[in-house]
Amino acid sequence: MELLPQALADGILLGGIYITIAIAFSLTYGVMHVIDFAVGEWIMFGAFTGYYLNKWTGLDPFLFMPVIFAAYFVVGYLVQPVIHRVLSGTKGNPFLMGLVFTFGLAIMFKGLALTVFGYYSNSIPSMFSEGAFTFENLGAGVTIPTVRLVGLIYALAITAALHYLLKKTNFGLGVRALAQHKDAAGLMGVNSKRTGSYVYGIYVGISAMTGVLLGCILSIGAQMGNEYTIFAFFVVVLAGMGYLAGVPWAALLLGMVQSIFMIYFNPSHTLLAVFVILYLILLISPRGLFAKGV
Amino acid sequence: MKALNNRLGLMALIVALLFALPLLVNDTFILRVATEAIMWVGLAIAFDVIAGYTGYLNFGHGAFFGIGAYTIALLMMKANLPFALALPAGGVAAGIAALIAGIPTLRLKGAYFAIATWALSRAIQQLALNVEWTGGPDGMRLDAYLHPEFFYYLMLVTVGATFLLLWYLLERAPFGLKLKAIREDEEGAKALGLNPTKLKMQAFILSALPTGVLGGIYAYWITFIDPSSTLGDMVSDQAVVMVVFGGMGTLFGPAIGALLIFAFKTVFWAYLSDYQLLYLIILGALIAVSVIFIPNGLWGTLMSRKKAETARPEPVLKAGVAQEEAN
Repeated sequence: MELLPQALADGILLGGIYITIAIAFSLTYGVMHVIDFAVGEWIMFGAFTGYYLNKWTGLDPFLFMPVIFAAYFVVGYLVQPVIHRVLSGTKGNPFLMGLVFTFGLAIMFKGLALTVFGYYSNSIPSMFSEGAFTFENLGAGVTIPTVRLVGLIYALAITAALHYLLKKTNFGLGVRALAQHKDAAGLMGVNSKRTGSYVYGIYVGISAMTGVLLGCILSIGAQMGNEYTIFAFFVVVLAGMGYLAGVPWAALLLGMVQSIFMIYFNPSHTLLAVFVILYLILLISPRGLFAKGV
Repeated sequence: MKALNNRLGLMALIVALLFALPLLVNDTFILRVATEAIMWVGLAIAFDVIAGYTGYLNFGHGAFFGIGAYTIALLMMKANLPFALALPAGGVAAGIAALIAGIPTLRLKGAYFAIATWALSRAIQQLALNVEWTGGPDGMRLDAYLHPEFFYYLMLVTVGATFLLLWYLLERAPFGLKLKAIREDEEGAKALGLNPTKLKMQAFILSALPTGVLGGIYAYWITFIDPSSTLGDMVSDQAVVMVVFGGMGTLFGPAIGALLIFAFKTVFWAYLSDYQLLYLIILGALIAVSVIFIPNGLWGTLMSRKKAETARPEPVLKAGVAQEEAN
């Protein structure tokens, strides 16, 4: 039990980062009504962009984060109209097709990444990766690496920014209206196409930016995307679909599960544990932890 | 009637050719390629039961294939069961897995079912990699049974029987209409007195059973299975490409998609084996492109064009007849 405080601290710090991905992910779902299978691949692309920028310029990866956000915002903004086109098609079943489309994107991105980056895994060095804070007075020693603390600050900042964007701006009002009722929102003057593009851009940007952070804390590899797609899905389903307020709690739980498995069990069983938990929760409460999902 | 006779004749010819193939060619390579092509046809049509007909995408179809393969390998190597007894067990195991996986996931909306099944398949792959009794990443070896003709006929009969069964259930019996009703409007289907949860479960099991059997045949045929070859995402990814490219919600579409994609894969592997990752990119791109340009798939697009062509001349013909009568 000596390690428990450490495991919990790690879990909170890691879960904090997942919040950012999961909020953006469920926001996209709310607006486009399609799950983006490529979420893990956006994270992976962001991580690799950070890795190479760091290698070429020698600057700290944290400095690149705004640049990566901006670059991937543009990418997402340009990709979304294609998804929108698929979703508003008249042939076949547009909803299924949208799902299949992002699945295809994910496969393509993974293939691209494996071709370009190969199979090796790496981590991004940062000025924060060395130091750590140690707390001795909690019964057992808890060590918090600086980089993880910075990650938590980052997560809180992003979450606060998204909260502000959604609740206090006209744009956010439009996004929420779209999530509630697409046609009615359109009648009220919300441009669903452009809003969708912005939201998707923001989501891709945040995912890529968070990828850099994950690359600093954990590791990067061309196949890392799978895991994060499952994590994003886990958080969103656990929170209850479309219930944003549940996302932080579900993300923290995921962080805990992951850190507990890393410390006490075999870390390669994490995915399995995540799935078993998901399975049990869905059996008991299909609408998520708080029974507030759709 | 004549068209029907023509079609029946064509079918009979194809079936006869398929059965005579091992007698006609003496090349084991060709036989091997044909065996695997037939297997992919089976996997694609089984995938289409839940994806195309019911509208629930199962991105973890490969999991059932792997479960079948591992069940057979374990039963034959650890329990020393004969193949004939182990094979049905492979299908049953896949069916049970579908039942267990389906109980919570089939309550989810389409998108969540898709990603849940995908997560399940990743989890099962991890399980196979990490437990002792599957041999972990080293996989399992089976005793070789070197009769390519036997496997060819077994695959042919299994896939043929699956095709006929599915064709009857989905195209001739009310079951297919019920599934389509769920795909088009689940609430509406419920209002008409259908039980979507039960029907979805039946479709899911119907999709998993043949997949498990095919996995079992594959394991005994290839004699070596490991988590990446049978449980990896390649099986699921290819099934998705085949069905989407060929045409969802039909039986001929996926079959044709499977044949074309597998032919492409074989050629690609033969000449460009250094660029295996490129294949992954092409698969992904093919999915995306067919979704944008032929959302009904190759078969669906061809059929609707044919329908449009035959629909147009009819009034002209009738007018001509009427004129002749008037004269």
